[in-house]
Formats: sequence, C-alpha cells, structure tokens
Amino acid sequence: MSILLNKDTRVLVQGITGRIGRVQTQWMLDYGTNIVAGVTPGKGGEEVEGIPVFNTAKEAVNETGSEAVVFFVPAAAIKSAVIENIDAGMKLLVVVTENVPIHDAMEIREYARGRDTTIIGPTTPGIITVGEAKMGIMPANMFTPGRIGIISRSGTLSYETSINLSTAGYGQSTVIGMGADPVVFTSMPDILKLFERDPDTDLIVIVGEVGGIQEEKAADYIDRWVTKPVVAYIAGLNAPQEKKMGHAGAIIRGDGKGTPQSKIAALNEVGVDIARYPAQIVDLVSEHLIPN
Amino acid sequence: MKLYEYEGVELFKQGGIPVPDFAIATTAEEAREKAKAIGVPLIIKAQVLTGGRYLAGGVKTVSALDKVEETARRILSSKIRGFPVNKVLLAANVDVFREYYCSITIDDYRGTPLVIFSAEGGVDINQIAQEKEEAVVQRAVPISRGLTISDARRMCRQVGLRGKDLDTIPGILVNLYQVFRNNDAILAEINPLVRTKKGEYVALDSKVEMDDSGLYRHTDLGLDQLERITNPLEKAGREIGVSYLELDGDIAIIASGAGLGMASMDIINKRLSAANFLETGGAITEELLYKVMGLVFKKEGIRGLFINVYGGINPIHEGAKGIVRYIKDHNITIPVVAKALGNHQEETWEIFKANGVHVTSGVSTEEGVEMLVELLGAKR
Repeated sequence: MSILLNKDTRVLVQGITGRIGRVQTQWMLDYGTNIVAGVTPGKGGEEVEGIPVFNTAKEAVNETGSEAVVFFVPAAAIKSAVIENIDAGMKLLVVVTENVPIHDAMEIREYARGRDTTIIGPTTPGIITVGEAKMGIMPANMFTPGRIGIISRSGTLSYETSINLSTAGYGQSTVIGMGADPVVFTSMPDILKLFERDPDTDLIVIVGEVGGIQEEKAADYIDRWVTKPVVAYIAGLNAPQEKKMGHAGAIIRGDGKGTPQSKIAALNEVGVDIARYPAQIVDLVSEHLIPN
Repeated sequence: MKLYEYEGVELFKQGGIPVPDFAIATTAEEAREKAKAIGVPLIIKAQVLTGGRYLAGGVKTVSALDKVEETARRILSSKIRGFPVNKVLLAANVDVFREYYCSITIDDYRGTPLVIFSAEGGVDINQIAQEKEEAVVQRAVPISRGLTISDARRMCRQVGLRGKDLDTIPGILVNLYQVFRNNDAILAEINPLVRTKKGEYVALDSKVEMDDSGLYRHTDLGLDQLERITNPLEKAGREIGVSYLELDGDIAIIASGAGLGMASMDIINKRLSAANFLETGGAITEELLYKVMGLVFKKEGIRGLFINVYGGINPIHEGAKGIVRYIKDHNITIPVVAKALGNHQEETWEIFKANGVHVTSGVSTEEGVEMLVELLGAKR
C-alpha cells in the first residue's frame, strides 16, 4: 500500500473553487484519487466536478470523513487554514502553496508537533502513490507503478527522476516532494523511516539540492536505520555561494554549510550511491534492481 | 532581503535596543550638516550590502567637524567589493570597554528560532566559536513562547556574565528577539554589542535579513527591494517575477523549476558553459515566457538556448506560444532545444516544432543537452 496515501484515502481539497484548485481537482480525480470534499469559506453548498464544497474543514470532516487534505490556498491564508485542518483531525496535509512566510511555517510546525499528523511542504508538488492516488500538482504521465520510493526537495526533479526511471522500466511506489523551503514540515529522515518500513518499497532514491542540512541528517539516519539500498543525486554542483537558486532553501551560506560537496560526502560515507547527473540515477538503480 | 545597516539600526532603535546617535547622508554636504548635531569624534560608515567594509576603507573615524565633508565624499565615491556607496551612516563614536555578540536566526532543520550569544564579539562568530567555544551559547526557542527574560539571563550567566552585564544584556537579547519576530526576519544580529567605558550599552552595528515571503506584511517600512539588486539582468528578472542569475557562459537556460534549472546548469557545464540560471516558478503564461525570452537575450553573445519545462502546475503549451512568438518577432537564429514533458506535452511539442525549435525525443535533460551540443557543432 506504499506510504501515507493510497486509493482509499479520503481526500479534501482546500481552495477547491479557485482557478488552480479546480484544474488540479479534475486531474487528481482522473488519476483515481478518492476526493470526497472541497472547502472554500463562503462557498459551502456548491459543487466542483461533482464534489461537495463546504465552508469549513470541520464540516467537511463530519459530513464526508475526509482524513487528508491538499491546499491550493494563498500564502497569506495558509497558517490559519493548516491549523484549522489539524484541529479538524486531518492525518495528512499537503501544502502545495509557495512563498509561505518562514515564521508562519515555524508556527505551523510547532503546532503540529506531538499531534498525530504528517504535513508535507510548503512548496511541494505533493505526494503520489503510483497507480493509486495523488495529492498535488505532479503530471501523472511521469510515473509507472513499481518498487522505488523517491524523496525529492525539488518538484521538477521528482518528475525528471520518475520519468527517467519509468522509461528504463523501473516503476515507483510512492514519490514525495518534501518542499523546497528552508523550513519544511517533514524532514528527509522522517520520510526515509516510512520507506524503510514500507513492504512495497525495495530501493529509495533521494533527490537533494544545495542548501540546508536535510541530506546530511538523512545520511546519519541511513547509517543507523536503513537497510534498503539508497541512490542519491544532489543538484547544484555549479551553484555560486550566497545566491538563492530559485528555491528559498537552495542557498549556500557563507559559513560553508549546505554545499553539494558536504552532502555528497556525507551520503557517500554511509554507502549511498551518488549519481553525478540525474540520468545516472537509472544506472545506479540498475545495479540493485531488475526492471519491471 | 538584506537590510542596510542604517535600516537595521532604525529597527533596533524602535525595538528599544540602545544605538548611538546617528544620521544618514547621501551627499558629502549633507554629511557635513548632519555631523554638527552628532558632534565629534564620529564614525562614517559606507552603507553597502556586503561585508569587508573596514578593509576596503569604507569605515572612518573623524575627529574634527571640518574633515567630515572630505571623508564622506571619499567614501561616497568609492566602491566596496564592487558595490557603489550611495549612502553613509554617521554615528557618534563610543569608547569601547568590552564587546559582545548577539543574534537571532533560524535553525532551519528544527524549524525554530535560534538565539546565539557570545561574551566575545567584534569578529566573525564562526571564528569565535572555533577559537573560544566556551564564550558562545545558543538556544533554540519554541516560537509560540518566544525568548523570555529568564531564558536570556540563563544564557548570559552560562558564559560568565555578571553584575551590570547580567542586569542589562538579557533585556537587549529579548528586544532583539522581538525585532526578529515583528519583522519576519531570518537574521537579526548585533556585532558588536559594546559596553562603553562610561558603562553604557550600545549596538554598534546591525545585520538584519528579512524573509522575502514575509515582506508583504511590512510595506509600512517602505523598503525598496529592487534597488538592492545590483545586476541589471537579475533586477529585470525580479521585475517580471522569475529567478534569474547571470553566469559566465553563453548557453541560456529557461527551466520551469529551481531543481530542474540547477540540474540543467550542472549538465550544460559538463560540455558547454551556462549563461544564466533561470527558473520561472509555477506561474507560466504566454506573456511571461515572452518576457523571459527578452530577459535571457538581453545578455550579449548567447550561442544556444535550452528550454526545460514540465507541465505540472504550469500550462507549458501556453508558455511555448510566448517563446515561439519571441523567436519570430526577434528573428532568433541560434539553436534552440526544448525538453517539455507532462500535461499538454504533445500540444507543446507541436507548437515548438512548427516554429523551428528542436524538441528532444528523450526524457532526460542529458539527451536534450546532447542535442544542443550536436546542433552547435553542426553550426560551427
């Protein structure tokens, strides 16, 4: 059943009546996602693609039993929307929204701590359990069902990695975009833990990038707990210092932290196979698995 | 967004952190006039968004009022690490008895504010931490609770502060934390905080960086974000809402995501040389990509263009229309290769192919770059 999301998960779309919310709802439904409700304050009683719209998350949960939520909500409204959904009892929250203020992200993360909930994002393409359901904006034709779990800090590189693997005959179990901000809600070790325990995943691919210490922490975790083979690629070998490479989290600070070299060294040290370029991920995977 | 020292000092002052008497001047004459109210000796400091001002001669102490104009003029006409100096800060000189370091930043990985205090200041904190580890204390703070005065006192005591230091500095740390919280800062640093020979405490410098995503809440500060970007192409990118960084090479890149843009850059630099990093983010329209084309071709000597886009949240077929319209309008004849996958991919390929853009049939960025390499070879 892969991790976090499957075809039975009852999904709510927050911001379903917006332009992006509508289009993405259609595509998620086309993929087979079990969307049971939408929420837009003030639009309760409407329908989008046959899905009932409610004013609040609480109402939607009471009426439809939704347990997971994907947000297409402007950054300025995300903090209150996420907290409302945590309070409504959501188990999985996917924050696609970009440009969420870091202070709001810190507040959300603290609010979620100690509660039985997993939040992905912000600035994530979302999560897809291949062949079953997707919560987010990833294009469905990149993926084929299989036994590789992918964790990516970048949305577009999660697509690139998946289509490269798919084309070579290697399918995916679940693909997760962690989110590209400096402060994310779920860390790389948290997701590694889920893949390590997942009986449907045989190999894990990490797609990292410059900035932060997620990959270094992942290396520590792998060293202690991960028995499955891990392949990694780190984007930004040529990134200049002190320059933000598009993502708010992709910046090599003056203190020398967050360089691709330090990440590659840390992962290499614990036996992770390092791809120098994205397509090389396939070559390294082929040393561990046979194609579908 | 990094703030100039004087903007940070202003925030400190409003936040109850003691700062020296100061004034800001954009001309030597203005400096001369404003210096009178501060008196001598005073310090004239270049306002630039880079370090190394002392070594570059951007900070001078002046002990006679009739020297202010000349010194200010010299600093205002200089460049510091390539940055022109448009403003100088005039600050009352103080006699330093002891220096400390205070900062509030973010522990990204744990997702909490991080308070750092050092009983030694005035130099780079990483250096202090290496050479005199016992002088430095740091503490992650739960954001809902914030930094309390007793937290701050405990930190100060831990590094040996006593007496008047212990009575005063914790309050300054708490105020600094409030400046950090109230302004969506990702860094608020005082280095050095000094105790003067008269026993007063003063923040002698400020380093404040605000979260770009939080700026919309602080329009009242009237901060001009664009003015801070010195590279004209990077500024033009910001104006149209994309991330652009100028690089040394001659192969332009347009990518629909940051990770993809970095990977494209890495792959291109194996064989060729990237002219820029550009990522559109998730708001592609025909119009946006028309403007993006204008931006990448503003750089002289572009020899090839590599387009790398995914249709996830982006309508890439719309974007393709903008690209080919620009190619027609401006008679672009250099090789252009596109890799376009995801929603609306077939439609996108048709638009490109009908207009002379080479579309890779592969799914990897490597194959797309290989195609560009071959086209460039054939052209030479």
